[in-house]
Amino acid sequence: MATAIRTEGLTKRYGDVVALDHLDLEIAEGEVVGYLGPNGAGKTTTLRLLLGLIRPTGGRAEVFGLDCERQPVETHRRLAFVPGEANLWPSLTGGETLALLGRVHGEVDEAYRSELLDRFDLDPTKKVRAYSKGNRQKVVLVAALMVRPDLLLLDEPTTGLDPLMEQAFRHCIGEARERGQTVFLSSHILSEVEALCDRVGILREGSLVEIGTLADMRHLSALSVEATFDGTVPDLSGVPGVSSVETNGRVVRCQVRGPIEPLLRVLADAGVSELVSREPSLEELFLAQYGEDGRAR
Amino acid sequence: MHADLAVAAPVAPVRAQRFPGTFVARLSARRAMRSGALWGLIFGIAIASSEVSYTRIYVTQAQRDALAAAYGSNKATSALFGPAPQLQTVGGFTVFKISMTLMILGAVWGLLTSTRLLRGEEDSGRWELLLTGRTTRRGATAQALAGLAAGAVTLWYVTAVITVVSGRGSKVDIGAGASLYLALAVVATAVMFLGVGALTSQLAATRRQAASYAAVFLGVSYALRMIADAGVGLHWLVWTSPLGWVEELQPITDPHPLAFLPIVALTAVLAVGAVRLAGTRDAGASILPDRSRSGPHLALLFGPAGLAIRLLRASVISWWVAIAAAALLYGLIAKSAGATISGSSVKEVFSKLGAPGTGAEAVLGVCFLVLAVLVAFVAAGQVTAARGEESGGRLDHMLVRTVSRASWLSGRLAVAAVVLVVSGVGAGFFAWLGAASQHSGVGLTTMLQAGVNLVPPAITILGIGVLAFGTRPRTTSVVVYGVLGWSLLVVIVGGIGATNHWVLDTSVFHHMASAPAVPPDWEANGIMTAIGVACALVGGLGFKRRDLQGE
Repeated sequence: MATAIRTEGLTKRYGDVVALDHLDLEIAEGEVVGYLGPNGAGKTTTLRLLLGLIRPTGGRAEVFGLDCERQPVETHRRLAFVPGEANLWPSLTGGETLALLGRVHGEVDEAYRSELLDRFDLDPTKKVRAYSKGNRQKVVLVAALMVRPDLLLLDEPTTGLDPLMEQAFRHCIGEARERGQTVFLSSHILSEVEALCDRVGILREGSLVEIGTLADMRHLSALSVEATFDGTVPDLSGVPGVSSVETNGRVVRCQVRGPIEPLLRVLADAGVSELVSREPSLEELFLAQYGEDGRAR
Repeated sequence: MHADLAVAAPVAPVRAQRFPGTFVARLSARRAMRSGALWGLIFGIAIASSEVSYTRIYVTQAQRDALAAAYGSNKATSALFGPAPQLQTVGGFTVFKISMTLMILGAVWGLLTSTRLLRGEEDSGRWELLLTGRTTRRGATAQALAGLAAGAVTLWYVTAVITVVSGRGSKVDIGAGASLYLALAVVATAVMFLGVGALTSQLAATRRQAASYAAVFLGVSYALRMIADAGVGLHWLVWTSPLGWVEELQPITDPHPLAFLPIVALTAVLAVGAVRLAGTRDAGASILPDRSRSGPHLALLFGPAGLAIRLLRASVISWWVAIAAAALLYGLIAKSAGATISGSSVKEVFSKLGAPGTGAEAVLGVCFLVLAVLVAFVAAGQVTAARGEESGGRLDHMLVRTVSRASWLSGRLAVAAVVLVVSGVGAGFFAWLGAASQHSGVGLTTMLQAGVNLVPPAITILGIGVLAFGTRPRTTSVVVYGVLGWSLLVVIVGGIGATNHWVLDTSVFHHMASAPAVPPDWEANGIMTAIGVACALVGGLGFKRRDLQGE
């Protein structure tokens, strides 16, 4: 399959601060990829480099085989970008803004545009100055979706949207996937990424620490186990692969990494009466990368 | 590392803010005092250099008498700059030469500063953040006004220190008391227009609207004062205009401190009004209705250049109206003002003011310098507006689509160039219209050429601005207004006496011939335009290669 985004050793420094450190990323056409990381990890820097708004200190980035730095206009014909903060012209109305942005892009699917206005419940006759933050965000979302680009670059696109609109957004991304559009979604909202994305990349302090499908990542990660006993609660701390053991009366919770067999044997011997195990959520995967206090480990 | 933090956190002392309830006042005081100090420096230097250069140029009593004869009872210049009762003295000359200019600059400083720190903060959303602290809407407004007052005191203090020091010079010899009073008179308009800006910040929904309402008030004040001083028997009108009150203070020549009464009263009424209105409206809302809805007007929204026209048209049209009105006025008074230029000593005085020759054309030669400054301000505004699109994050929406940086910048510069040429030609046309209505015998071609002659200095300012924008974007506004302010200061000082030509050469206005008094210097104009274009090209290349940068 052809490549939509490719970066090789992409690096951005601001003085001594490394915003992005040798990023190697490859995203195929038609993929929906999530991009996670705390504030300041380098998500927005990556997107601005792909858009040619800032220049790399090292390495290079390509979109559909075109160099992002040298051929920005050519790459932009095939993509659309949604920033996390909708800074628009306060004196224009929503409708005027969409008309302007559509003309500046080129082709607009007019029927889809009206459908989007309906779906996001946006009044285009109001001036941007009079819009709430959420409504301003809807304008930039509609502006990006209405041109049906081959690639959607989204930087925390649902900032300020209410749950209903968040649902409408997910619906639109689902449609984009069905049409074969590529989506690169940077987000904090883990449930959103979990619901929409085929693959997830996790960024920490400017470096990509993890990328893969959710299934792969879960497989590599710990399983949560909760066991209830009728009799004595066994000591699980010495069992290979087991960690984070918590005992609460007759209930034991723990995490297990790697083969589960040794744990099952101990539990069976001890006379387990109830056993619940589940795969980690994306939130748990994310926190495992960053530590529960949110700081990078 | 974690353990350290866990231990350190509860132990670390929480630094108590002194007087947390005065945060807004201190915040606005800091910003107002910084710009007050800068402008005080400019005011002080302008006053001091005017005083010093008078003592150097008009050395003999005969020269001073000639000057007084030329201007002392001239109603036309009195309408423009205010009356000139004592041109034989250093103080009288200084008051005549610069006080009107400084009064207007002070008013502009006042209205821009207060609308920026009040409505501007509300526009940006920072005001709401402040209101969540220990204050109310009224309290915060009162505090911001206190901060602005601190800025005004700083403006006065810096102006006064320089004026007093300059007055102690043996040849100037103006007493400390008179110097302090002069500084107070010069700063009085700034104080009133801080109040005007505070009130319009409550009335209007955006900073730009608030500033333009205040500017209209300034324009009306100037017009009323002008009619009062035009010698048509309406001198009582001087009491209807805030600028008239300041003129009635008559620093140095005939001090009249009673005129402080209306000044203080107006300021108090405006301040109390602003605080009261702030309490009766919602944060972010305006007292006057704000049109938040409109049908689509798409004609201009075809691309970045069209967008620039759409966004800038309101402010450009107001500049055009101001330039056309000033030019028309200059044309109207040119003949009667020029009629007094006769006799060799007066001619000499006039040519020192930059207008050799006689008659209406000589007067217009001096007046066109003011128009050149206005056109240069239009150029500066174009550059800072472009930078504003970038720092506000709105340029992103263009550049992530199919607009290249080169086409965005060149589109804007093309619009700016057209705006500047129209400003210049319009100035020439309206000055001709005014002059022709008085049968001054000034030709249309001459005046249009004099109008075109105003454009090259503005192109230079535009180019220097683009150079800053392309290479050090965060300095754009400081550089462009710095160069403009410096150039203005140098001509104010240089116009009344030859100073060092190296200094004079740094002013863009110094290289402009005083058309229509003399024919335009097309070679100098070509060089200024070439410098502007070259700077813009280098700036454009820099912009193509750099990162976009926020505030």
